[in-house]
Amino acid sequence: MSSDYEYSDEEIDDVFDDDEMDYQDDNGDDGMDMDDFKVVPKTTRKAYELEYDSLAQAAIEKLMEQDVEHIHGILGVDSGAAGLLLRHMSWNKERLIEKYMDNANKMLVAAGAIQPEPEVTRPSRRPTRKVTKRSPSPPKTAGPFVCSICFDDSSDLTPLALDCGHAACSGCWEAYITSKVRDEAEHTCRCMAEGCGLVAPDSFVRAAVDDEIYARFQELLVRHFVGCTPHLKFCPYPSCTNTVSCPAAASKVSLSTVVPTVSCGARGLASDPSLSQSQELVRQATGKEHKFCFGCMIDSDHRPVVCAVAALWLKKCRDDSETANWIKSNTKECPKCQSTIEKNGGCNHMTCKKCKHEFCWVCMGPWSEHGTAWYSCNRYDEKGGVDARDTQSKSRASLERYLHYYNRWANHEQSAKLALDMFAKTEKKMEEMQITSTLTWIEVQFMKKAVEELDKCRTTLKWTYAMAYYLAKGNQKDLYEDNQRDLERAVEDLSELLESPIEPENIPSLRQKVTDKTVYVQKRNQIVLEDTADGFLEGRWQWNATVDGFDEVGEA
Amino acid sequence: MSGICRPRLAEERKQWRKDHPFGFYAKPAKAADGSMNLMEWEVGIPGKAATAWDGGLYKLSMIFPEDYPSKPPKCKFTPPLFHPNVYPSGTVCLSILDEEKSWKPAITIKQILLGIQDLLDDPNVNDPAQSDAYTMFKNDKVAYEKRIKQQARENFPK
Repeated sequence: MSSDYEYSDEEIDDVFDDDEMDYQDDNGDDGMDMDDFKVVPKTTRKAYELEYDSLAQAAIEKLMEQDVEHIHGILGVDSGAAGLLLRHMSWNKERLIEKYMDNANKMLVAAGAIQPEPEVTRPSRRPTRKVTKRSPSPPKTAGPFVCSICFDDSSDLTPLALDCGHAACSGCWEAYITSKVRDEAEHTCRCMAEGCGLVAPDSFVRAAVDDEIYARFQELLVRHFVGCTPHLKFCPYPSCTNTVSCPAAASKVSLSTVVPTVSCGARGLASDPSLSQSQELVRQATGKEHKFCFGCMIDSDHRPVVCAVAALWLKKCRDDSETANWIKSNTKECPKCQSTIEKNGGCNHMTCKKCKHEFCWVCMGPWSEHGTAWYSCNRYDEKGGVDARDTQSKSRASLERYLHYYNRWANHEQSAKLALDMFAKTEKKMEEMQITSTLTWIEVQFMKKAVEELDKCRTTLKWTYAMAYYLAKGNQKDLYEDNQRDLERAVEDLSELLESPIEPENIPSLRQKVTDKTVYVQKRNQIVLEDTADGFLEGRWQWNATVDGFDEVGEA
Repeated sequence: MSGICRPRLAEERKQWRKDHPFGFYAKPAKAADGSMNLMEWEVGIPGKAATAWDGGLYKLSMIFPEDYPSKPPKCKFTPPLFHPNVYPSGTVCLSILDEEKSWKPAITIKQILLGIQDLLDDPNVNDPAQSDAYTMFKNDKVAYEKRIKQQARENFPK
């Protein structure tokens, strides 16, 4: 045993040495190794979890640089032109190379890297020489310089021009690029001369504007790059600048089988001045991680339900359609003033509260025509009445069904919103426990753990109702609802435990119970998530509505 | 930005007085107290000879933003003109007057006015700005022509 151990120890040392050597020798190689490492799947990955990476803005800039270097190396254009070409082709390297090989000159002109040549083109000449020099060069002018934009002719002006030679003073360039970048959020700044299509390369922009504008310029470039790259998305949380890379969810097709919940790695929101000092502390301590869905950019975790169904549900909840449905099944309009009236009892002789119009609730005709046929409308159309009642009861049933799911959904959402209070309360309880029992701070962490788990499960539960609303009836739905019920029961049990008052003598037993329940709840949550995720992969779920990305299904 | 705006407009004024295309006029508007307002110009664009627009002198006001020449001026026919690329408000829809399209700080007032003059007889059907003129232009060229000639008479300089 001991010799084995020594041997392996040595080996580790060796490997370490090699690594160090590699690092000194070749940086590029090291980067490759890192990439290889990322591809290796983590052993404990669940079916409902996806591989993703969180990147800061600097990391994205690095990726952009790599692309630019790549193009610079392959096409032999300088990096300024390579950047412009890539931006012009929306960072699609393959297409850029293909098109460039087709007609290099055309591409360079379209990207604004060179001017179109007015004379006959010389196909044999490689255009690379044309774009090798690319720094803001003072153009050659005869006589004193007059800026063509502001018409200033003072001798202390610094004329600047792109390769086209259309000179303007540095002040005009700064004002122009600043207005493009700041006001128009535009990173393509073309030459100021009429009809000239040359685009200012990064080095020119850097030289022309101040740091603040240049930083904004770079941010715009990063935004453009991320926008053009399907496997990259910005974190949707306010003022967060991180980006998440999730190749597994890059295509729209993949979204019907996976729910790409990701987290950008940052925590908490930008500070809110309306919070009191103590609330502010709580906020920082409990700052939620920036969890969002890579597929639909909802700023929360909508597992287990896929994006298309989540979107359907949210739209339904946001729509006034259900309100309208309620109004339709419960009210009628006054035939004279169109006020909406809910009849909550009494006879059919209605008097509008607003316009005092008297009418019959059944036939909506004026009451005066009813003569002496009080309380029974003799104009009651048998057929029409039955139809009306049918549609009314149908819409009432569908409303009730919706409300059943909606109430449960809203309930869990409400509970999740109260999580902040819950965290604070739990913190207090934990302190209390420390005082009243022999437990240390570390040992009372089980409370916090339980609250966190509870919050996660409530989010899951919330969305299970959205999914259940759209699931077609059948065995699959029954099984699904069993899982849902088990999780819900476990969650409520744990919730109750956490709310229960703390007596010093039963702390140990409470701790045991809470810990056990937490583990159980965690397990149930995993079961729900895993089962639904597997179901999506196997195509097991059938919907009672048309969902994007799924086959059309009839009403069950 | 305002640092450039006024000197540039003063220079534009100077250049215009030195030389401008025949039949056009362009001058900064007078404020109520008689002082000159460089930020708003009153201009007149003549219709091209041998077109339905011939004979008319169309009044236009140019309103320059503080960040001119980074941003283009707003050009508005007063009163609004019957033309497919003129909005009901009178504002001209032209690519060189759009900072997100072809506007460039180097474009001069003279170039703008000549551009608008070209537009009069050569509307851009891909960018309709008012439905009346657009539909008539598309469907009934004869009636359109007649209407333009009548408009030219209405705009005959006194």
